[in-house]
Amino acid sequence: MRARLRLGLRLALLAGVMAALFAVDTATNYEVAAAVFYAMVVLNAAPFLGRRALIRLSAFCVALTVLSFALTPKGNMPIGLANMGVSIAAIVMTAWLILKMDAARQAAQDAHAKLVRIARIKSLEGLTTSIAHEINQPLAAIVTSGNACGHWLAHDPPNLDRARQALDRIVRDAGRASAIVARVRSLTRGEPPSRTVFAFNDAVGEVVGVSRGEIERHGIELVLDLAPDLPAVRADRVQVQQVIGNLLLNAIEAIAAGPARARTIHMVSEVAGGMVGLSIRDSGIGIPAGIRDHLFEAFWTTKEDGMGIGLSISRTLVEANGGEISAEPVETGGATFRFTVPAVQQEKS
Amino acid sequence: MTGPCVVYVIDDDSSVRAALDDLLASVGIRVLTFDSTTAFLAHGMEDAPGCLVLDVRMPGQSGIDFHRRMAGLGIALPVVFITGHGDITMGVDAIKHGAIEFLTKPFNDQTLLDAIQNGIGKDRDRRRAVAESEMVRARWASLSAGEQEVARLVVQGLLNKQIASVLDVSEITVKVRRAQAMRKMDARTLPDLVRLTGKLDLDGLS
Repeated sequence: MRARLRLGLRLALLAGVMAALFAVDTATNYEVAAAVFYAMVVLNAAPFLGRRALIRLSAFCVALTVLSFALTPKGNMPIGLANMGVSIAAIVMTAWLILKMDAARQAAQDAHAKLVRIARIKSLEGLTTSIAHEINQPLAAIVTSGNACGHWLAHDPPNLDRARQALDRIVRDAGRASAIVARVRSLTRGEPPSRTVFAFNDAVGEVVGVSRGEIERHGIELVLDLAPDLPAVRADRVQVQQVIGNLLLNAIEAIAAGPARARTIHMVSEVAGGMVGLSIRDSGIGIPAGIRDHLFEAFWTTKEDGMGIGLSISRTLVEANGGEISAEPVETGGATFRFTVPAVQQEKS
Repeated sequence: MTGPCVVYVIDDDSSVRAALDDLLASVGIRVLTFDSTTAFLAHGMEDAPGCLVLDVRMPGQSGIDFHRRMAGLGIALPVVFITGHGDITMGVDAIKHGAIEFLTKPFNDQTLLDAIQNGIGKDRDRRRAVAESEMVRARWASLSAGEQEVARLVVQGLLNKQIASVLDVSEITVKVRRAQAMRKMDARTLPDLVRLTGKLDLDGLS
């Protein structure tokens, strides 16, 4: 809300400056090149305007310059023409430079995002490599001991003693392999949640805060509709925030992947039946029919560069905290993801 | 298995070591196992044809690094790699650097045994070649300077008469020295002598 107010204020201020410039430029002689200062307007508006809006604003400034020139009653006509040319050149050059810089910044950001993703995949690759290595050691020992056992039995007469020793080793190594599997499982299950009581909306706000840049970069409008009188929740704050961040990122990616029509994310928090819930609705590409059943499965993805673990991890985390997570398509396009965590019972406090 | 031979196994995993020890013992091959390259170096090698079974991934020095350093350490043992995680690039690289085989755990025992036999065979050939060249070198050293001169020219295809004129000695002397050289080098015919001296770097030897 406040952000919107600030944006409105800024736009009003810029409009005021433009009106003043127009008035001065029109009222003064041709020799006064007040229109040059439109470049300042363009420069100031750049940080909070999109690419297209900036081009429109620049065009509008150029139009105003020409109009002022036409309306200016007195002065030296040739100097006026030259001044107008200089002003227009200044406006156009400013806009052009801003757009160029923006494109470069965008490219740098894209490269960074890509790197982060690669690093994530690489770390998973490293993890699976070391798991494979760990498990393959006892497996190799088992296979080799099995073969040795076979050789001892094939001796004439069979060397039963050595064969039995080999079998003992096989049993021991099999136990070791299953211990490794158990350890890996406990690793991926993660730490048991350490539950604390915290204000849900604050946790949401923090995640939204760090995602703001990504949301604005994709030209997405975020509507926050957080219930003001939510009870506190009892859950692992970090894990809950991981889930929110994950769902928000998914929503952004779903919108970025689709055509640029409505670009909104709607986040609603509410309380129902002793649980606090958060729904995140996006206007993105939605959930293709037939994959809904697989949504929360590990390593199942429709994204070209995805790993298919985000939603699976989200579900694991939500359920570990005693909540539920669900997804459903939105009829007008897009999808809604909703999860709940237990609220702190009011009557106890 | 013909003659004594020994297989050295270096793997940090005790289960794998024990299993390999037993497997090789069950087919009658002498095995020595080590948990690190350092332990292997401390023990040293026996005077018998052998083969080295080397784990790729070990704490401390990796098998790959050790393989690269082996030539510098004067270890000419053929190497069979075993690894817990197969990596094609790593395997190709190891083979390029002269490894006999690159096996991913768990491996087929016959493949491993074949690779080990192959390695031992190569080591036996190499040891034989080294022994032969040392023997020839010793024989050559037993020749007098005059006999060596004559032998050198004989091998180059010169006739006795030509050798006599090059060395400025009588043809009789050449004949005597030539016969001595043939006897000392244990060469019955001229092609024999050419073959034996071929193992020596005659230009480098005096």
